[in-house]
Amino acid sequence: MSTNKDNLQFRIITLALLMVAHLIAFSSPDTLVAHNYSISYSTFDTILIGSEPDYPPYCIVDEDGQPDGFSIELFMAAAKAAGLQVKIKIGIWEVIKNELADGKIDALPLVGRTPEREEIFGFTLPYLKLHGAVFVRKDTKDIHSLRDLTEKKLIIMKGDNADEYARRMNLSEDIINTNTFEEAFQMLANGEGDAVITQRVMGLRLLENMENNTIKPLDINLPDFRQDFCFAVKKGNQELLNQLNEGLSVVIANDTYQHIYFKWFGPAIKAELSTEDIVRVALFIFFPLVIIMVVLWVLVLRKEVKRRTRRLRNEITNHKNTWHELTLKQEKLAASEDQIRLLLDSTAEGIYGIDNKGDCTLINKSAIELLGYENDSEIIGKNMHILIHHTKADGSRYPIDDCAIYNSFIAGKRTHVDTEVLWRKDGSSFPVEYYSYPIQQDEQVVGAVITFWDISDKKRTEKELLKLTEELELTVEKRTAELNEKVLKLDKSQQAMLYMVEDLNRITAELKNERRKLELSNKELEAFTYSVSHDLRAPMRAINGFSNFLLEDYADKLDQEGRRYLDTIKKNAIKMDKLITDLLSLSRVTKADLVYTTVDMQQMAKRAFEDMATTNEKQEFIFEVKNLPSIKGDATLLTQVWQNLVGNALKYCSKASVKNVEITAKDAKDEIVYKINDSGAGFNEKYKDKLFGMFQRLHRDNEFEGTGVGLAIVKRIITRHGGRVWAEGEVGQGARFYFALPKQL
Amino acid sequence: MDEINQVEILIVEDNPSDAEIALRAFKKNKLTNKILVVEDGEEALDYLFCKGQYATNNKVSRPKIILLDLKLPKINGLEVLKEIKSHPETKIIPVIVLTSSKEESDIIESYQLGVNSYIVKPVDFEKFVEAVRDLGFYWLLLNQLPRL
Repeated sequence: MSTNKDNLQFRIITLALLMVAHLIAFSSPDTLVAHNYSISYSTFDTILIGSEPDYPPYCIVDEDGQPDGFSIELFMAAAKAAGLQVKIKIGIWEVIKNELADGKIDALPLVGRTPEREEIFGFTLPYLKLHGAVFVRKDTKDIHSLRDLTEKKLIIMKGDNADEYARRMNLSEDIINTNTFEEAFQMLANGEGDAVITQRVMGLRLLENMENNTIKPLDINLPDFRQDFCFAVKKGNQELLNQLNEGLSVVIANDTYQHIYFKWFGPAIKAELSTEDIVRVALFIFFPLVIIMVVLWVLVLRKEVKRRTRRLRNEITNHKNTWHELTLKQEKLAASEDQIRLLLDSTAEGIYGIDNKGDCTLINKSAIELLGYENDSEIIGKNMHILIHHTKADGSRYPIDDCAIYNSFIAGKRTHVDTEVLWRKDGSSFPVEYYSYPIQQDEQVVGAVITFWDISDKKRTEKELLKLTEELELTVEKRTAELNEKVLKLDKSQQAMLYMVEDLNRITAELKNERRKLELSNKELEAFTYSVSHDLRAPMRAINGFSNFLLEDYADKLDQEGRRYLDTIKKNAIKMDKLITDLLSLSRVTKADLVYTTVDMQQMAKRAFEDMATTNEKQEFIFEVKNLPSIKGDATLLTQVWQNLVGNALKYCSKASVKNVEITAKDAKDEIVYKINDSGAGFNEKYKDKLFGMFQRLHRDNEFEGTGVGLAIVKRIITRHGGRVWAEGEVGQGARFYFALPKQL
Repeated sequence: MDEINQVEILIVEDNPSDAEIALRAFKKNKLTNKILVVEDGEEALDYLFCKGQYATNNKVSRPKIILLDLKLPKINGLEVLKEIKSHPETKIIPVIVLTSSKEESDIIESYQLGVNSYIVKPVDFEKFVEAVRDLGFYWLLLNQLPRL
């Protein structure tokens, strides 16, 4: 409260004059304002505030138990100026402070602004600066500075600024908390403690009230306990805060503040300077003079008030600006702190900080998780080497004097280690890689930040790789041995191959020989068939011819029976010839090489009919050939096929009333199926397998003549072309012969 | 020798039965022209070119037709055909191969050598008569040879 001494002179005079003014019942507009602060209920918003019973002269209760005091009165004035109705409840400081934090009350009229409280409260601009003091018993001799308090027992009201201050500054290990300062002074007086720390003016006032004169404040400067007192609201209740700030600005600007201040602090100062003397002097010595001066003074006063109002307004503006800047800075700081926290917590690596004793000062989420803890409170403040770094990977103790982290950062150096383990909360360990960086402040190492991560996977992979390499080497060795063995075997088999080649050459020579023999016998066979075709026929011709001569020349000498015999001889000779012809055909079909050309099947079928049918048959038969596709094949052999099949059809139709032969074809994917449909005698299906057999016949010779070779030849030719042949039929219902030839060779 | 020179039909046939059948077939068809039957290829060529037993002939014989079997002793029918068709004097004489063989190769080679007709001897005598009638009718009566 820097203004106190500066304004002392001014205040003394002012107070004196005010008293005179009261005595002569002079009423100024300012004094009237002071009496208007009372609780009234109207349409205004009503807020509930808390107040203490005994924090004189700021918050007290009067004889009627009603709340009173400088802060109360000022709050009421500010609230009224802001258009607010106020209800007040009385409670001890610790209780009402918590009630505000919990939102059970809306505001407190007197709260010292501290960093701790800014976390939970919103503060108006300060309306009062108070200095703290150390109170001791008058007989205390050994306390001369704050340092001397370290070993002492301090008594402080719980939750007071002083309490927070003492703890923040770590003034002493031994602090006793009371509910009120009255209680604290009582205990001090009783020798239950060594010192009370509280706000100086309040302390003096309280001691006066208690009529205690065994306790005195010391002249020890408490630079960090210069408190800014403000109204406080719950943090975040910006609307109320704004209203109170506005109200406070108004009462400061319109001198109401000044008035209330005089009301509460005037008597205290007067008391120090002996009030009665001043009154006496005022009444009996200076009275006449004063009367004259009053008028002048009122004028001066008014001027002064105006000047001060202006100055105060400027100050308010300055305050507001400063306050705004501070808020902004604070927000920025909070945001950047949040960001850093977020950054730390979103990093996968574990990060912790230690002070120069090796105790943990900060730790991020990943680190907590990696180390198996639930939250940072389990770690903060603990010695990290003892907590997580106490034992080496091999299980031996790891003395802190050897600790790589500790040694390096004490030396102001960074270090990198990946051969150690860290220990989890549950007593298990994991291999770790970490970097430690020293933190320097003003060229002094104040701690270190350690970044670490679990390298179990890496270690495991390394191990596996090593194992794999070993296995690979083993495999390579084994394979090499196998290969050598195989090379040996190969050498052996090469030898065997050489023998085999020799054998093969020999066999090839033998085969060539055999082939030559075969060719030779084929030639012999050809000569044989050639001679058969000539020589076997000649006797047949002779038999037939000479039988004929006999019949012609000696007919008259033969009876009917003799002629029949000769006919039989002739017929058999002809049949024998036919048989020889067919056999020759068959042998030709078997041995001839196929000469493939595109064969006009339509033409060929028609030609076969022309060749095979007699003049009569050509007239009798309805012969139809419908769009037969051409195909690749041996023209000579296919001619034989058509001749045999058409010949067959003609033969077996010879006794039928309807003589009909129809030849068609069907394109069936990979092959063409040719069909010869006749209206002849047909055959019994159960014998169809015999149809194409050599010398197999389904009809007796006296029904239809034949050698049983024709269809066998057909089958052989079609088979040699890669085709198929089959037949369908029914006795008396005609027959259908099919042969299918492949489109591609 | 006049007789020989007047030969109109030369039959080259080693099988006497076949020769007789052929003669009878001609006879049945009233083709009673002068017919000479020789029994092998050598004799056939001797006759045509006046060699061997026919060396006394002073002039190359030119029958109106030659009926030639293929399977012959000494010189076979195809060789005889080749000789005939390679000499200008005999080249124009129509040669009809009359054989039991239906071998494709025989037929092709015969035509390549310049045969005029190719007839397979039928076993059925009546068909034989028909065949002889047809060839005689054509080659002896209708076919006009240039006069040399």
